Amino acid sequence: MSSTSQDAETSIDLDLASDGELLREYVIESREHLSNIEQGALILEKHPDDADTLHSVFRSFHTFKGGAGFLNLVPIGQLAHGLESLLDMARQRKLTLDGERIGLLLRGRDTLKQFIDSIDDQLTGAAPPAPILIPTGDLSRQILAAMTSEPNSAPASPPPEPSAATAPSTGGTVKVETSKLDSLVDMVGELVIAQSLVAQDFGPHAAANPQFARNLAQMARVTRELQRVSLSLRMVPIRGVFQKMARVVHDLAAQQHKEIQLLTDGDETELDRNLVEELADPLLHMIRNAVDHGIETAEARAVHGKPRAGVINLRASHKGGGIVVELQDDGQGLDKERILAKAIEKGLAAPGAKLSDEEIFNFIFAAGFSTAREVTDLSGRGVGMDVVRRNIERLRGRVEVSSVAGQGTLFKLVLPLTLAIIDGLVVTVGGERYIIPTLLVRESFRPRAEMISTLQGRGELVNLRGRLIPMLRMGEHFGVKPAAGTPAEGIIVVVQTGAALKGLLVDGLSHRQEVVIKNVGDMIRHRNASIAGAAILGDGRVGLIIDVNALGNLPVAHVAQAANN
Amino acid sequence: MKAEDCSIARTPSSARPGKYLTFALGGESYGIAILQVREIIRPTAITPVPQMPPHIQGVINLRGKIVPVLDLRTRFGLATPPSNDRSCIVVVQVKTNESAGALTGLLVDAVDEVISLSEKDIEPTPDFGFRLDTRHLLGVAKVGAKVKILLDLDQILGEETQAQV
Repeated sequence: MSSTSQDAETSIDLDLASDGELLREYVIESREHLSNIEQGALILEKHPDDADTLHSVFRSFHTFKGGAGFLNLVPIGQLAHGLESLLDMARQRKLTLDGERIGLLLRGRDTLKQFIDSIDDQLTGAAPPAPILIPTGDLSRQILAAMTSEPNSAPASPPPEPSAATAPSTGGTVKVETSKLDSLVDMVGELVIAQSLVAQDFGPHAAANPQFARNLAQMARVTRELQRVSLSLRMVPIRGVFQKMARVVHDLAAQQHKEIQLLTDGDETELDRNLVEELADPLLHMIRNAVDHGIETAEARAVHGKPRAGVINLRASHKGGGIVVELQDDGQGLDKERILAKAIEKGLAAPGAKLSDEEIFNFIFAAGFSTAREVTDLSGRGVGMDVVRRNIERLRGRVEVSSVAGQGTLFKLVLPLTLAIIDGLVVTVGGERYIIPTLLVRESFRPRAEMISTLQGRGELVNLRGRLIPMLRMGEHFGVKPAAGTPAEGIIVVVQTGAALKGLLVDGLSHRQEVVIKNVGDMIRHRNASIAGAAILGDGRVGLIIDVNALGNLPVAHVAQAANN
Repeated sequence: MKAEDCSIARTPSSARPGKYLTFALGGESYGIAILQVREIIRPTAITPVPQMPPHIQGVINLRGKIVPVLDLRTRFGLATPPSNDRSCIVVVQVKTNESAGALTGLLVDAVDEVISLSEKDIEPTPDFGFRLDTRHLLGVAKVGAKVKILLDLDQILGEETQAQV
């Protein structure tokens, strides 16, 4: 930043009027990248070969550059480009990130932060609109020099062991009791509520007072970040489970004289520690099924023109606030006819019923259902998939299956990221509000009167696009007088309960909200199994979380008795 | 606090000398051991829980904790006095078999005072035979001319958490 800079420094002119919204997003996004770069640089200082971190920091600079190019923020783009190139070379092992280069990364990051801060100031009105001029010439030259000069003899180190990349120790760890973590998460949850209450109550005043508005926004940001961080403390990568599965596949394949290859993807996907533990069992079961029933013997595969070695794909990824674990095999697929025949035999389906593939495949999740011709050591006892489904549902997740005959089967587990928080749909019934886990909600709609028919004068069914779904009047069930007199005045929320769907009739949908799940205590739980827990809503009042599965399984007699109480 | 063994072979009076918080309930005066009381709060918005017996009023948010609220008056079948603005929720913490130290809110008509009871103030619960269920009582205490009924919260709340539908 000295005056020796001879380059004509480019300044940034912001077009606040037309780009305001985009710039705001860019600033928010950039702040995340800035912190990612900073953390990453610190990790790289200790482990210059940590491929994951290298890549993540590289991506951050890349995104920075992309956004800058789009918004025509030339100097930011140039600087980010330089740093990105430097990292790219490090990624390709053309140079080593020594202390000096790490220092450059950090200085570059600080300069980028100055830009972002200035843009932010103009956006919020803290600074008057003016060209932003922050010298980058010196830095750019140093980056260029760092890329060409070779202080170390490169390539410095052999490719890192996978284990080195998997366990980047970030400067020591602290063991903490989980109960302390839980209470931290609890308190942060309270903070989020308190913050949203303050924002709600004083939001209107903010318009008149920019300083206040900024502070409010800052508080919201910090609170969200705090929540994210506190939740991430409990997060571990799913890698451990995947590794366990690799071993299982290996052993089982050998035992059954099959050739099977397990490919995993996304094993760095993080989820709640408890979930990882709970996930192992159902996954193990499904893997066994895939090996046992899914993948054919090498000979059979050869006959069908498939490669001799079967492939099982295990994938994990984050999706829409949850985590998706997919288990795909390229085996023989599910036998639709046999499943249907078995379902009819067991009285689960009416003979001659027209069922979709999805509905037929869902029968495998029914209790005591197994089509395996012979019981093997591993599976085929018919106690498999229903246990898997129950386990997954206990984790507030759901399992889906699809299959193509001769080509394989795909199981998809959709799980929440954590057991501590759910994404909830807040519904209203009378004056009460209940929370339904969004993950289980398939759709919601306002029924027309003719869509609803009764069964033996008691049970009600709603006809949704030709599919008959049992309907449950929440108000009646819970002894609350609904505001909607007839179903046509209310909303039906279709939820997944096990393999079946259920329509819950409520008065209306209020909003979606992430809620921290709290225990309601034995006193309540012993008396009403359909209350999964409770959560504090935005106004500080308690909302009850509905366990839609228990709600579905409640025998009619029980409901009648409860109604009499 | 009582010793654990008291609940097994209950002596007619297991009330210990010490400090008790007294409160009004349906025209009568009751007392609970002060050591079990965590705090006293103004009535707040209670969220009703479906399919509960009438004496479980619902749950409240106590600074982020979900606390069930019991209406002792309904629980004991006492008369309902006209509502007043002195009613309170007494939050107590009692060890039950499953949850160690769960909080419970007790809805009372009015909180009176904290009294010190010595051994001579406390009398065993009179035996009413079949006409009165005295399992929930620790004893009675004479304070001046008045009688305070001492409640066995361990017993009352223990039953609540075990109760099945």
